[in-house]
Amino acid sequence: MTFFKISSALAFIASASIAGAQDVPAPNQQTDLQLLRKQMIEMQASIRQMQAQHAQEIDGLKAQVAAQQKALDDFQKLAGAIVPPLPAGPAQSPSPAAPPAGASLFPTTDSSVVATSPPASTPASTPDTIPTIDTSVVAGPTLGGPPITLTGGGKTYLNISLDVLINAAASTARDLEIIEVGDHDPLHRGFNARNTELVFDGAVDPYFEATANIVFKLDPQNGTSVEVEEAFAQTTGLPWNLQVKAGQFFSPFGRINTMHPHTWDFIDAPLVHGRLLGPDGLRGVGVQASWIVPTPWYSQLMLAVQNGEGSTGFSFRNRGDGDTFAGRETIDRQLRGIQDFVFVPRWESAFDFGSTKTLLTGISAAFGPNDTGATAHTQIYAVDAFYKWKPANAGGGWPYVKWQSEAMYRRFEAGRGLDDSFAARETFNDWGAYSQVIWGFKTGWSAGVRGDYLHMSDSQITDDPERQSRWRLSADLTWFPSEFSKLRLQYNHDILEASDFLGGRGVDSIFLQFEFALGAHGAHKF
Amino acid sequence: MKIPSITLVLAVAAAFLQSAQAKLNVVATLPDYAALAREIGGDKVEVTSLAKPTEDPHFVDARPSFVVKLRTADVLIEGGAELEVGWLPPLLQNARNEKIESGKPGRVVASQGLRLLDVPATLSRAAGDVHASGNPHFMVDPIIAKAVAQHIAEAFAAIDPANAAGYQANYAKFEATINAKLQDWGGALLPYKGQPLAAYHDSWVYFAHRFGFTIETFLEPKPGIPPSPSHLAEVIAKMKTEHVKAILVEPFQNRKIAEKVASSTGAHVVDAAQFPGALPNADSYAAHIDALVARVAAALK
Repeated sequence: MTFFKISSALAFIASASIAGAQDVPAPNQQTDLQLLRKQMIEMQASIRQMQAQHAQEIDGLKAQVAAQQKALDDFQKLAGAIVPPLPAGPAQSPSPAAPPAGASLFPTTDSSVVATSPPASTPASTPDTIPTIDTSVVAGPTLGGPPITLTGGGKTYLNISLDVLINAAASTARDLEIIEVGDHDPLHRGFNARNTELVFDGAVDPYFEATANIVFKLDPQNGTSVEVEEAFAQTTGLPWNLQVKAGQFFSPFGRINTMHPHTWDFIDAPLVHGRLLGPDGLRGVGVQASWIVPTPWYSQLMLAVQNGEGSTGFSFRNRGDGDTFAGRETIDRQLRGIQDFVFVPRWESAFDFGSTKTLLTGISAAFGPNDTGATAHTQIYAVDAFYKWKPANAGGGWPYVKWQSEAMYRRFEAGRGLDDSFAARETFNDWGAYSQVIWGFKTGWSAGVRGDYLHMSDSQITDDPERQSRWRLSADLTWFPSEFSKLRLQYNHDILEASDFLGGRGVDSIFLQFEFALGAHGAHKF
Repeated sequence: MKIPSITLVLAVAAAFLQSAQAKLNVVATLPDYAALAREIGGDKVEVTSLAKPTEDPHFVDARPSFVVKLRTADVLIEGGAELEVGWLPPLLQNARNEKIESGKPGRVVASQGLRLLDVPATLSRAAGDVHASGNPHFMVDPIIAKAVAQHIAEAFAAIDPANAAGYQANYAKFEATINAKLQDWGGALLPYKGQPLAAYHDSWVYFAHRFGFTIETFLEPKPGIPPSPSHLAEVIAKMKTEHVKAILVEPFQNRKIAEKVASSTGAHVVDAAQFPGALPNADSYAAHIDALVARVAAALK
């Protein structure tokens, strides 16, 4: 800028002197010219001085740059000697925080996977400033989560799943509903869909969690009936290892009674389960308290108090089909007091044998009145055992061996029925047991065998078709394409013993079951 | 003589009980969390892992003895990314332990604060057993392990303030070890950066991400779906084209299938594992990654 001004001034002076030279110089003008010349010489001198100064400055800067360059080169040489060049970060990761000079070769932090601030469980105590970002809460998955959060683990209020069992049945018996003893079993020849189950579960609030299993059953006429199989809530944080459950739930009796049919190892219910507890098992509306005994091994005491009414309280206040049970017309027993409930105590214990074998055992009982007489009572006792072996390197849950057995005894006081209409009182001592072994021999495959026996007390006056002593042998083969579907083939050979009213016979049946499950990933109880 | 000896026995018993009580009772769902808890807790904690190091973490039996362990736990460390969804919930329902309820300081959810990879945009089991919150096998990334260790240290310090300084010091030590080790591991695997690897199950995405591999070939056609002959034929062809040199197999996966694929492609089967304690002489976290890195490097040599 200075240069420009000076040169334009010089140009002006030059043009002025040229113009002046054309005119005749006056003596005054001559002294002016001399003065101008003198000034120009001075200016030229000062310009030279300025140029020299600038050159000096530039040289200084050049030297400085060179020195810096040299320092940089030296530094790079030094850095190269210590660590090889920094590797490029993985393609998808945003660049990690730039390490300070001379830092590690390999990054030791990565903000693409770890939030910069630790996920503290307590908020940072900086009350002076309100933070504008909080990575501990927004550091979730980089991609947006699934748009629908109704199902799936963890992130939902309510887990929903649907489980469907479809059975195809072939049998030498026309009355398959007599041969099969469970209400979810294939009850007629051909296709059966006796268990379409909707399952809901989740936390109610900080104090309760709840589960509901709603079952839709198709009858032979393809009519649908709906059953609230379970709908209960239970406490989560009671002190002293206590837990209380309330609602409609399976009584804590034996093992298979508390399992939903799709978790069974055979297509149908064991004989003792269907005939002594009932086709639907023993369940009902009530409350249950349980206590984990503070022992080094697993030991739990439970007591349920339930209505025990209707078909799900089969051996208790159950009026039976056509108001007939055990051959008697039943009384309409309304609840008189606490003595008319069903009481179900259970004690279960488990023992580990090494890290691969576990035994779970239990003893259970159920006490309550029944509807065959004003003072008629029922008592059922059971022992159960479940053993499982699974090696330490099991993959996908395979291989394994499971053994499961239950034995039951029922003392059933059969009264004289409505208005003492039946000929006599009787006391039935009924008992039976089943035992089964399942071998998961290959990933996705299992094979099982089961033996069943049921003894019903002989009676010369009770012609109940369900009171027939019998045997059953079963074998099945199951293929699990995934955790969420299975295909099971089962063969049953039933031997029904002759009684005073019923003839003996043998029955062969083959069932094919297809199960599929949708929705939330269910957890497996032991 | 009798009375003093009884007193002595009682005193010893009392001291033992006291020390037993003084220790934090820590239950980890998986052995990798247990290994970190031991590093951080030192002799101030008693650590139990529910799953075994060689076991498939997706399918652990909910053994009743686990209820007993959870019942008395002061701290529960879980992944929280659906890996334990098939077996942990019924255990917790039965354990009825207020200290480890969700949201309590005693409940450490390891995946909190992590940005999980492979979060599915849509949820469909037609894609196999996908995990809604992302791939849950994140502990083989040492940087993630540091974050989890820090999380554990904070939880221990909050629950047991008397030993807080010790936990923080142990964390600092662990962090320094891992930072130093990362240089060794990075150095050992750097020559093979960018190489494609194969694996039985999609459980190595974080390891690949950390050390610059691509692992996109799996013997399982979809997560949790057993290998089929047609899928294996595709895998073999792909491995040949891409010159894949190694197949990572975990202890519970079908090694025979991996061997077959290896013999048709010239690749090596790498006996890898997710959990400390699964490989010989590799009980600590750093030793485990040491072993893993050595095995992968050896296969790629």
